[in-house]
Amino acid sequence: MSVRRVLIFVPIAVIIFLLQSYFWVPTYEEQTRGNPSRLNEYITASIGDASLLNPILSADSASSDIESMVFEGLIDRDEDLNFRGRLAKSWEIYEEAFFYINRYADIPGIGMARGGAVVQFLQSALSEDFEALPRLRVSLNNIKEIMLLPSCEYSVTRQEKAPGEGQGKTNIKINVHAPSRIKLVLKSVDQDLFKNLRLLLGKDYFTSFVAKEHIEIDRKAYQKKSAKYAKQILPATEHNPVVLFHLRGGVKFHDGHPFDARDVKFTFEAIMDPKNLSPRIADYEPVKGVEIIDPLTVKIVYKRLYSPALGTWGMGVLPEHLLNEEVLAAEAVSLGKNHEDFSIRQSSFNRHPVGCGPFFFQEWKSDQYIVLDRFEDYWEGTPNYKRYTYRIVPDLLTQEMEFYAGTVDSYSVQPHQVKRLSADSKYQSFSGLSFGYTYIGYNMRRAPFDDSRVRTALGMAIDVDKIIKYVLYGQGERITGPFVKQTDYYNDNIEPLPYDPDGALRLLREAGWIRNEDGWLEKDGNRLQFTLITNNGNNLRKAVLAIAQDAWRHIGIDVRTDLLEWSVFIQERVNTGDFDALILGWSMGIEPDLYQIWHSSQTNSHQLNFVGFKDQKADDLIVRIRQEYDHDRQVAYCRRLHEIIAREQPYMFLYVTKWTAVLDRRIVIAEKVADGRLSYKKITPTKTGNYTFFFNKWTKLAEVPSFAAEG
Amino acid sequence: MLSFIGRSLIQKTITLFFVSVVSFLIIHLAPGEPSQVDPLNPKFTPEMVERFQKAFHLDRALHVQYLYFYRDFFTGKTVSWKDNQSVVVKIWERFLNSLPLFIVGTIITWTLSFPVGIRAAIFRGGLYDRSTTFFSYLLISIPGFFFAYILIIFVVNHFHVPVIGMETFGLGEASWWHVVMDRVWHLLLPSVLGATGGIAVLSRYVRSQMLEVEGQDYIRTARAKGLSPDQVHYKHALRNALLPFVTMFGLILPGLIGGSVIIESIFSWPGMGRMAYEAILARDYPVILTVNFISAVLVLAGTFVSDLLYLVVDPRIRL
Repeated sequence: MSVRRVLIFVPIAVIIFLLQSYFWVPTYEEQTRGNPSRLNEYITASIGDASLLNPILSADSASSDIESMVFEGLIDRDEDLNFRGRLAKSWEIYEEAFFYINRYADIPGIGMARGGAVVQFLQSALSEDFEALPRLRVSLNNIKEIMLLPSCEYSVTRQEKAPGEGQGKTNIKINVHAPSRIKLVLKSVDQDLFKNLRLLLGKDYFTSFVAKEHIEIDRKAYQKKSAKYAKQILPATEHNPVVLFHLRGGVKFHDGHPFDARDVKFTFEAIMDPKNLSPRIADYEPVKGVEIIDPLTVKIVYKRLYSPALGTWGMGVLPEHLLNEEVLAAEAVSLGKNHEDFSIRQSSFNRHPVGCGPFFFQEWKSDQYIVLDRFEDYWEGTPNYKRYTYRIVPDLLTQEMEFYAGTVDSYSVQPHQVKRLSADSKYQSFSGLSFGYTYIGYNMRRAPFDDSRVRTALGMAIDVDKIIKYVLYGQGERITGPFVKQTDYYNDNIEPLPYDPDGALRLLREAGWIRNEDGWLEKDGNRLQFTLITNNGNNLRKAVLAIAQDAWRHIGIDVRTDLLEWSVFIQERVNTGDFDALILGWSMGIEPDLYQIWHSSQTNSHQLNFVGFKDQKADDLIVRIRQEYDHDRQVAYCRRLHEIIAREQPYMFLYVTKWTAVLDRRIVIAEKVADGRLSYKKITPTKTGNYTFFFNKWTKLAEVPSFAAEG
Repeated sequence: MLSFIGRSLIQKTITLFFVSVVSFLIIHLAPGEPSQVDPLNPKFTPEMVERFQKAFHLDRALHVQYLYFYRDFFTGKTVSWKDNQSVVVKIWERFLNSLPLFIVGTIITWTLSFPVGIRAAIFRGGLYDRSTTFFSYLLISIPGFFFAYILIIFVVNHFHVPVIGMETFGLGEASWWHVVMDRVWHLLLPSVLGATGGIAVLSRYVRSQMLEVEGQDYIRTARAKGLSPDQVHYKHALRNALLPFVTMFGLILPGLIGGSVIIESIFSWPGMGRMAYEAILARDYPVILTVNFISAVLVLAGTFVSDLLYLVVDPRIRL
C-alpha cells in the first residue's frame, strides 16, 4: 500500500471507529425512563467537589451538603427558623452566676459582711418586695438557689515570654487565696443580674473588689502584671450559662453502634483539639466544660454569656468509637505513620464517614460523584428515596443540559433564566431570598465619609431598584440593614433610602459641598473625589461599580474606580483599611451576632469592621444581643440596632439576591395519612433558605400528579 | 553520544533546580492564602490563622519552606491541604483519567493534519488550499469553550445521548462491550475539541514544510528523472519534510500532564488540568508545586527525547 493510501485510510478508520460508538450508548430516554430504579434515586449536581466529609473539619459548601445527609446534630432549625430537637429530645438553659465576697464593701443596711451574712441578706431579700425597683425584683425572682462556696487556696501556672529578645517562655507560679464566693443558680439566663444586684448590695460592691491582694506571684519580675492576672483568675463576677441536653434514646450510627452522650463530648473535644485544626474552634471556645450526667444527658457549661452558642450544637455528631485515640493509633500503625502527628484530619474516616443521619455513605469518586444510600434505621423514619447521588458537574451549562435530559433532578437557575424556566410547565420552580447582601462600604475614618449626611446623600443618588431590575433581572430585593431579611431580627419598618438625586445634593450642600462652575462638588476649594473599588471576577459587583460611578458623577462627584484581584483586594486594601469606598457582600448566618463586623473594638487592621463604624449605642446593643438568651428581647435589641445602622449609613445596603431552583414536576412530598395510605403534597420552599427541608419525605412519581387548584 | 547524554542530563538537572526555585517563589510570593484560611469569615480568629499557618509551615522563612516541601516531595509524603490525600496518589488517579483523552486527541491531531496539509501543499493556491486555510484560521480563532457549548447543545438536542463525564452516568449493568463503547463515545467530543486547535496549527506546519521541500533542487531532479508524482511527493518530499516534526513529537509529552482546563471543566472530566486549576484557585501549594515539578520534568524529558530522535532520523547530525 502506498504511503498516500495509508495517510488517507488511517484517519478515516479512526474517525469511523470513534463515531460508531454512538450506536452503543444509551439515550437519555433509556437512561431515565427505561430504568425503574431511577425513580428511587435523587440526583443533584454541584460545581465543586467535597474536600473532607467530616463536619468538624470542612468548611466548604459541597462537603456540608453531604454532611447534612450523613450526620445529625443535637438540634437544628425548623421551617420557621426556630430550634427543634434532633439527637437531643429537649434541652434546658439556665445559669450559674458567681461573685466573690467583698469584705470591705459597705452593704446598705448591714454594713461590711462576711459570706454567711451576705447569703442571709440575699435570702431575706428574696421574700421582700421592692416595689420601687421592679428590675431588681425580676432578677431576684429568677434566683432559684443561693449557695456559699468556702474560701480555698490553690496555685496556677501561667506561661509568659521570657524577658529579653529570646523565644523562650517561663512558667510563673501564682498562689491564689480565693475568698469565699456566692453561687446563684438562676432559672433563666439574666445578663442584668449583677447590675440589678448592685441596687441591693451597693453600687461599688463588685467594682471595688480587689482581686490583687488574693494572689501571690513567685517571680519578682512579673509583679507588675499581678493586677492583670488577678482579674483573670478571680473575676469579681461570673456568668456561667448552662445548656442541659436530654438526648434521644435508641438512635444508632450507620454501623449499628448506639449513639450516646460520650459521642457528644467526644465531638466537642475533637473540635477543641489543636491537632485537628478545626475551623469551628471559635464557636466552642466559650465552652467551659462538657459533662456527661448519664448516657443520655449532657451538661454544657459556658465561661461567659454567649447566646449564639445554642445554634452551634446543630453540628453533626461524630462517632466516638470510630475516631478515639486507640482507633486512630491503630490506623496510624497500619499506614506506617507516626501516631503522634496522626490526627482525625489524616484519618480515612473523612472519605468514609459514618454518622447517624438519614443517609449513609456508599461511594465517592473524586470530581465525579458521591453516592449515599438511605439508612433504614433512621430514628425519624426511613427516607422515601433509596439513594442520593451528588454529581460534580463543574460547568453550569452542562448542568443545565443534564437537567433537561433528566440525569440531574434539580438545577439552580441563573437570574437571566428565571423568567423562562419558571414559566415552563415541565418543571416546578421555587425561589426565595438568600442569606447575604451586597453593599457599598465607606471608609468612615476618611473625609468626606466621616459625615453621615454625605453617606446618606451618596446612597440617595443611586437608583437601586434599577440595579435590581436590570442587573439582577429582578431577582433581588432591597435590604436596609445587616440582618437576614426573613428573620424577625430584621426591622421591616425601616424604609430603604429613596432615589432622590436632588435631595442628595441638598444634603451635600448642608454638609458644605457646593457645585462649582464646572459642575463638580467642592468644599474649601477641594473637589469631592474618591475611588470606589471592588474585586475582579464578580460581574454583579462590576456592574454596580459602573452604575454607582455614573450616578455619582451625575451629581458632580469625581469618582474613580478600580478592580483588583481578590487576594490583593483583601490583603492590601480591605485588611489594611486602605480604601475610600468599596463594594462587597456578606453572607450571614441566622444568628444575629454582629460583634465582629460592627463593634467598635473590631476596627483595627485585619479585622472585619474595616469601614471603621464606631457608635456607643450600637456597641451596647451588639454586646447585649450576644448576651441575651431570650428571643423576644433579642429581637427588640436587634431592631433598635438595625435602626441605628440604617440611620448612620456606614454601608449603603444595596440588595439581597433571590435564588431560584427548578425541579422535575413528578417529585412531591409523600406523607402517610391515618389509614396508611400515602397523601401527596406539593413541595414548597421554607424560611431556611431552600426547598429541600422535607427532603426525607420526597418521592418521585411515575406520572406528573395533579393537585387541587391552589394559588 | 554518551558524553552528549551525560552533559545533557547534568544541564537538565541544573535547569530543573532553577525551575523548582522559581516556581516555588512565584507561587509563594503571589498574593493569596490557602482557602482553608478565610480572612473574611467572622468565625476565623487570628489565633486560628496562626495555627493553620504553623501547620502548613507558612510561618517559616521561604528557604525553610522550600526545603520542607522538597523533603516531603522526595520521600513521597506530600499531602494536599484540601483533603489530606497524598498528592502523588491524586495526580496518578487524574493522570490515568487524562491519559485516554490525551492519546485519542493526539491520534486525531496527527493522523488528520498530515493528509490535510500535504494535499494543501500539493495543490497550492487551489480552492482546496484556500478553504483549508480559511478553516484553519477559523478553528484557531474560535474560542474552545464556545465551540464546546455549541457541540454539546447540538449533540444533546439532536441525538439525545449523554456526552459529559467519562462514562454515561448510571449506566448500570451493561455488557463489557457496551461499557467500552460508551467510554469511547464519551472520549469523542472532548478529544475532537481538544484536537481542533492542534489540527489547524499542525496542518499549516505540514503545508509550509512540504512547500519548502518541494522547492528544493532534488525534488526537481526527481521530477526530471520521470518519477510518478506520488513517488515525488510521498517518497522524496514527505520524508524530508517530516524531520522537524520529530522534534515536535518530543514536545507534546508535557501535554500529558497539562491536560485541558476548559475542556475538562465543561465535560466534567476528572482530569489533571482541572485538578491543577482548582488547586491554584484554592492555593493548595503542595498540589500546584508537584504538578509544576512533574511538568518541568516532562518538558525537559521531551526535549531530551526529541534530541535523541533527531539523532536517529537525521544521519547528518553528529553530537
